[in-house]
Amino acid sequence: MTTDELLRMESIVKTFPGVVANDEIDLTVRKGEVHGLLGENGAGKSTLMKVLYGLYTPDSGSIWLNGERLELEKPQNAIDAGIGMVHQHFKLIPRLTVAENIVLGSREPAASFRENGSEEGLVAKLSQSTPVQAVASRFTLGLEEPSHRIEGLADRYGFDIDPSATVHELGVGKQQRVEILKALYEDVDLLILDEPTAVLTPTEADRLFETLEELTEDDLSIIFITHKLEEVKAITDRVTVLQEGNNVGTVETDEVTKSDLARMMVGHEVLFDIDKEQFDTGQPVLEASGVRATDDRGIEALSGIDLTVNKGEVVGVAGVSGNGQKELAETMAGVRTPTEGEIRLKETDLTGASPRTFIDQGVSFVPEDRNRHGAAGDLSVMHNAAMKEFPDEQFGSGLRFDYDEVEEYASILVDEYDVRGVDTVKDAVAKDLSGGNLQKLIIARELHRDPALLVANQPTRGVDVGAIEFIRKRLLEQRKQGTAILFFSENLDELFDLSDRLLVLYEGEIVYRTTPEETSHEEVSMFMNAGEREKLTAVDASETAAAREGVTDGGKQ
Amino acid sequence: MLVDVEVNEREEIPSWLAYGTPVFTILAALLVGAVAILAVGESPIVAYDQMFVHTLTEMRNLSEVMVRAAPLILAGLAVYLPMKAGLWNIGAEGQLIAGAVAGTLVGLNVSLPQYALLPLMILAAGFAGACWGFIPAWLRAKWGINEIITTLLFTFIAIELQLYLVRGHMQGGFGGFPQTDRLSEAALLPSFTGFDIPSSIFLALLVVAGVYVLMEYTRLGFQITFVGSNDEAAEQAGMSKFKIVLFTLVVGGAFAALAGISEIAGNRGRLQASFEPGYGFTAIPIALLGRNGAFKVLLAALFFALLFVGGDSVSVAMDVPFALIEIIQALIILFLITAEFFKSYSIDISVGRAGSDPTEPAEVTAND
Repeated sequence: MTTDELLRMESIVKTFPGVVANDEIDLTVRKGEVHGLLGENGAGKSTLMKVLYGLYTPDSGSIWLNGERLELEKPQNAIDAGIGMVHQHFKLIPRLTVAENIVLGSREPAASFRENGSEEGLVAKLSQSTPVQAVASRFTLGLEEPSHRIEGLADRYGFDIDPSATVHELGVGKQQRVEILKALYEDVDLLILDEPTAVLTPTEADRLFETLEELTEDDLSIIFITHKLEEVKAITDRVTVLQEGNNVGTVETDEVTKSDLARMMVGHEVLFDIDKEQFDTGQPVLEASGVRATDDRGIEALSGIDLTVNKGEVVGVAGVSGNGQKELAETMAGVRTPTEGEIRLKETDLTGASPRTFIDQGVSFVPEDRNRHGAAGDLSVMHNAAMKEFPDEQFGSGLRFDYDEVEEYASILVDEYDVRGVDTVKDAVAKDLSGGNLQKLIIARELHRDPALLVANQPTRGVDVGAIEFIRKRLLEQRKQGTAILFFSENLDELFDLSDRLLVLYEGEIVYRTTPEETSHEEVSMFMNAGEREKLTAVDASETAAAREGVTDGGKQ
Repeated sequence: MLVDVEVNEREEIPSWLAYGTPVFTILAALLVGAVAILAVGESPIVAYDQMFVHTLTEMRNLSEVMVRAAPLILAGLAVYLPMKAGLWNIGAEGQLIAGAVAGTLVGLNVSLPQYALLPLMILAAGFAGACWGFIPAWLRAKWGINEIITTLLFTFIAIELQLYLVRGHMQGGFGGFPQTDRLSEAALLPSFTGFDIPSSIFLALLVVAGVYVLMEYTRLGFQITFVGSNDEAAEQAGMSKFKIVLFTLVVGGAFAALAGISEIAGNRGRLQASFEPGYGFTAIPIALLGRNGAFKVLLAALFFALLFVGGDSVSVAMDVPFALIEIIQALIILFLITAEFFKSYSIDISVGRAGSDPTEPAEVTAND
């Protein structure tokens, strides 16, 4: 152990039902460094940091800070040990002031009850007695002292923040600085920032980077979670790359290029043998031109999308989460209305049509969030199986709805798609199914109707390995039946294996159109993270070699 | 002393608990109520005998239970149906009053034979209640305005409107009391002589059957269930939340209005300015207890009617103040509703003194 080592996490294992989120991860952070934690969504970054912050208890492994072993049961333990965390979604109370937010949980009683020793007399003595103090610390709030300290801290690091300002009046960048101040107020040695730039404008991000540099000058260590390569290059001293719950390696940032990092991040998963027959694809099924759409907050998420999906073709869409995938999937499936542009299905104009019309025209949709949009958790498997097909004549004509028929139909789906954990479709409740089995049920529902178009947004995310393989096979079988498939995934291996054509979505635009044969993981990853091809002009062999060494060193630490 | 309370959701509800809960809870509530009865110097056994056994065995009381049950069933369904779609109709009382006013207006001013007048009154009442439900429903469906607040506020509008009408235009010419004239014989719901069964109970049973069929045998019922469980998924599946919200609240409003007119035409015979029977509010716990089906609503409403009638007869027959009866009724309702919580959650309470519990100090050092 070197002397300048601050944090050491050893063999951290954390599993969730069906998923190993962290598989024996080691991580060391030195004093005064900005340590990048890089990885795709679901690589285990957040889990690892939640373990470090005491939000999750690891299944095994140990955490050492300044040479002392930590047992973290709750965040307060981590805070006491000197670890602070700024979450991606701020944990501030908008209606309170900056100072009130900062002292939350560690406030001090009002000035008149504070010990100062100088005063004599009954009143002063009384105010110092234990019961009075107990009441005072519970029911009074002294903000003068903390405000001074906050101002001092803000001055030191150049934050222009007024402790008496109300948080909701502040912009996002300032709110983030309040979060940082809140951590600093607790005298932390190690600050974890979870994708801090995700919410910032480029200027605000630059200011954040300046701040971080000042903090490290004071010997504070920072763990910077991100999946953006540029930021890693811009701010970090060293970087640890996680991939599918494993530590791929820790490298000195200066010694690697962006493309090295991209390669480390993506890795090469040994995939199941997928037998993908080549055959000529047919007529266009889905044609979209100039499609624009807004996200749930009304901010433009799609800025002019043109795409075509042909009969019997899988078009894969790659992209870092939050670049418009959700909106594109929903718009193409008819559950989000585009603000501009045109959507045609088999030459029928469906722009602005209702979700029902899309369904009736043969569009199936596997949404990203299966619990929220894909199923009603409290209802039975039977109800969920009939969620889209319920108007069909087979379940009774006119007003009548025959649950016996529905039950039979649901049983067929459950058998055919091997949905497990269903005793009877009538009694089994959707939320009691495992993620994989619920997803299989949704896939069954969407494919059994033999759709013209299937829009599938991350159908294999968060499901167990067995279900992943099953779902992929089913998608390819459906492709053989002539269904046009628009397929979104954050797993590049999967995209490359399943897709006939690949699109990269970046900030609401398609920035790259290719086929798996013509491109590489690195290239796609580059477009996903930067929106353009990095000029790989003179990455000479020696530098790459050095980087590789760095990787192996880091991995063995 | 350290008390540690852990609340966990039960994975499976044991069957003895599922069926036993209502029995246990009612017994527990009666036990607590017995303390209060003892405190005023009466025998709880005699009181409970009067309250339940006498009420259930005497025809006169049984008929009274049905008179009370009819509006409770209808109002219960008025809350139940929107509840199935995930909506809270807190304003059944207002819809009930709107129905009573509209039905009475027709009953007083139209002269037709009974077989035509009664259906017309019921239709008018239903229409008024539907209107009373429609405005909150539309506000909710179109603009997402919270129906809990709007339906409740519409109750106050209904109350004030009724006061205005009964003290003004609708006031009867006799004695200056703020009440309407008595409805003519043709405008009163007949009672089946010989058995003394009020016909309003048949109206209520008809509506129960209708709701049951709607929820169990129609596509619309399927959609209501789905929207109530997950409206976002329902919309993605092409169901119209807009239509479901409108339908359930409007039809719910009509049901509550039927409760209003059945109370006026079947029981009171005239509308008084102070007509606020409270059935619309009692309907909320009824719908909560009976949320698993229309017939459960029916049972819950019958039970509440029994409590009310039994309570009345105790306070008349014995020296027990009516306030105490209300306390016992409230206890039973409260116990029944909390029982639902205990049914689905298990609670572990561990009590230990700091120091005597070997795990406690160990934890403290570990935290340091």
